[in-house]
Amino acid sequence: MSVYRISYRYANSLMQLAEEKKIYSKIAQDADLIYSSLEASKELRTVLKSPVIKSTAKKNILTKIYQNKISKETESFLEFVVEKGREDILFDVFKEFINLRNKKEGILRAKVVSAVELNDSVKKKITSKLEKETEKIVQSKFVVDERIIGGFVAELEDTVYDASVRHQLKLLRKKFAEEISI
Amino acid sequence: MAEIRPDEISAILKKQLSGFENEVDVYEVGTVLQVGDGIARVYGLSKVMASELVEFPNGVTGMVLNLDEDSVGTVLFGDSSLIKEGDQVKRTNRLASFPVGEKLLGRVVNPLGEPLDGKGTVQFEKYLPIERKALGVIQRQPVKEPLQTGIVAVDSMIPIGRGQRELIIGDRQTGKTAIAIDAIINQKHTHTEEAKKYGIKPVYCVYVAVGQKNSTIAQVVAKLEESGAMAYTTVVSAPASSPAPLQYIAPYSGTTVGEYFRDSSRHALVIYDDLSKQAVAYRELSLLLRRPPGREAYPGDVFYLHSRLLERASKLSDDLGGGSLTALPIIETQQGDVSAYIPTNVISITDGQIYLEPNLFNAGVRPAINVGISVSRVGGNAQIKAMKKVAGSLKLDLAQYRELEAFAKFGSDLDKSTLRTLGKGARLVELLKQGQYVPVQVEKEIVSVYLGTNNFLESVEVKDVKRFEREFHEFAELKYPEIFENIRMTKELKDDTVALIKKAAQEFIEKFKKS
Repeated sequence: MSVYRISYRYANSLMQLAEEKKIYSKIAQDADLIYSSLEASKELRTVLKSPVIKSTAKKNILTKIYQNKISKETESFLEFVVEKGREDILFDVFKEFINLRNKKEGILRAKVVSAVELNDSVKKKITSKLEKETEKIVQSKFVVDERIIGGFVAELEDTVYDASVRHQLKLLRKKFAEEISI
Repeated sequence: MAEIRPDEISAILKKQLSGFENEVDVYEVGTVLQVGDGIARVYGLSKVMASELVEFPNGVTGMVLNLDEDSVGTVLFGDSSLIKEGDQVKRTNRLASFPVGEKLLGRVVNPLGEPLDGKGTVQFEKYLPIERKALGVIQRQPVKEPLQTGIVAVDSMIPIGRGQRELIIGDRQTGKTAIAIDAIINQKHTHTEEAKKYGIKPVYCVYVAVGQKNSTIAQVVAKLEESGAMAYTTVVSAPASSPAPLQYIAPYSGTTVGEYFRDSSRHALVIYDDLSKQAVAYRELSLLLRRPPGREAYPGDVFYLHSRLLERASKLSDDLGGGSLTALPIIETQQGDVSAYIPTNVISITDGQIYLEPNLFNAGVRPAINVGISVSRVGGNAQIKAMKKVAGSLKLDLAQYRELEAFAKFGSDLDKSTLRTLGKGARLVELLKQGQYVPVQVEKEIVSVYLGTNNFLESVEVKDVKRFEREFHEFAELKYPEIFENIRMTKELKDDTVALIKKAAQEFIEKFKKS
């Protein structure tokens, strides 16, 4: 079975548990915390993936890291995942959980690239414009990349809104490379 | 020297730029997860369609073949070493398609429609998807017009109709391609004013080369050019050096061009040379995409691969303009094994086969057609009346000859009638021999077959049969041109024409004996 399918099942069951026990917001917070910590620490991910380290050791590591920081339910979920020997896909499970949550709440994560640092009013303007376009709540992450020369590029999941100078130049080059009709 | 003012140049450049809109470009992307062996797995592209074209960096394009839960399997039409993990993949919103139009005639292109002949960009009318559903029953009508190949043995005994699918099958080096090329060259006649006068509509040709050597393709193109056949022919080339995906789609691309002519109420002939190589390319792809292998490691849908392709050959109903698309697929067998997987599949799909044998080829019978097991299931209806009349007994005579020939090898004293049948058979076999690139007009074929089956060659030595035939044609053209004219005009062999042929033959035999 593919990793995607397994992680989807685990994430979905966590979601259902949260809804059943009406502790959705708490679990969502925990998920954010775990996801960001896993994203930040490559070491932790490697440890979890390693088949050499025993599962009891992994369990201890996880409890030590997250003790008192997350709810009881999440803690026991982590324990359960380790028990089932699926700790190697823990990162994917939480990624999938966040995806599910975003879908449920209508949140879209966007990455906006610009050539120079934008001020807050422009950032807000872009976000609200994107929200209007997609009819969803957009959480934007702003990145500066000089290679796009000017303008901005907004990436929302698979869709890209490209208003960069680099892309315009590329199109222009393509147009000139094609047959010139005079 | 003409002078160009700088402001003129800037005006032109300005004009070019003026059409350029500075707008936000919205597109959908994915990321390459894994790449290698001409296959790329892509994450994202959630809305992509099956068999849609996608754009990779460095000008490489690909086609979506697998839509999985969390990724998309694509095949690459370019070099996979130009792509690395993490590269951005863009949707084109366009199904794999092929440019069609009048200007494609005379060109050599790859299966994506890019030129390979160095004659500049391909001018085209529109793009048509390479995979289209074959027409249904209502849109079709039975095959009724002949497609003359210019090969006496084929046109008389294994006739091909416009809209038919006739398989050319045989081992390597038995002259499969030669038959196909002759058929293309013979269509030159249909484009002349003279053919128009007799109500013969032009046939446009497409030659699809799959998995062949570049040198062979160059040879074929040179030959077609030399005989003036490139003017109405498009060559779609996916040589052995091109990636497997290109070889896989090449026949579909070729068919798309043929369909363009068919749908504009014209006639097209598409040659797939050869489909066994395409099946091999498809097998490679399927295995790399981890589809389960079946018999001879071909995937389960290899039958569908060929059936959906050949099903597109058709004769349209009169309401749709009456155009046609004739398909001549070629299959190469290994050591004459026609019961292998791919040959049996294609034999069952097509409306008959022309079977070529290395034994005959080596014995000097060229084209090396085994008329005993070659058949055409629908072409008979399309044969012109005159040909039907003379060819009826030809197949029978040859069958009798073959039976006796095997038998006669043992015995020495044979009775007179057996000797006569043997002699006639030997002369008929000789008569059906034909050089490469010299297709014969149908009226001449008819006269030749008539002479053979009606014992006019009895007095001619076997080795002189070909010379007799050639000189008789010249003689008849000079002294009795109305023989050919009558057949061309009426497409029948009336009694007065028969009488004329008899008279001419008797007259000529006298002369021939003296020489």
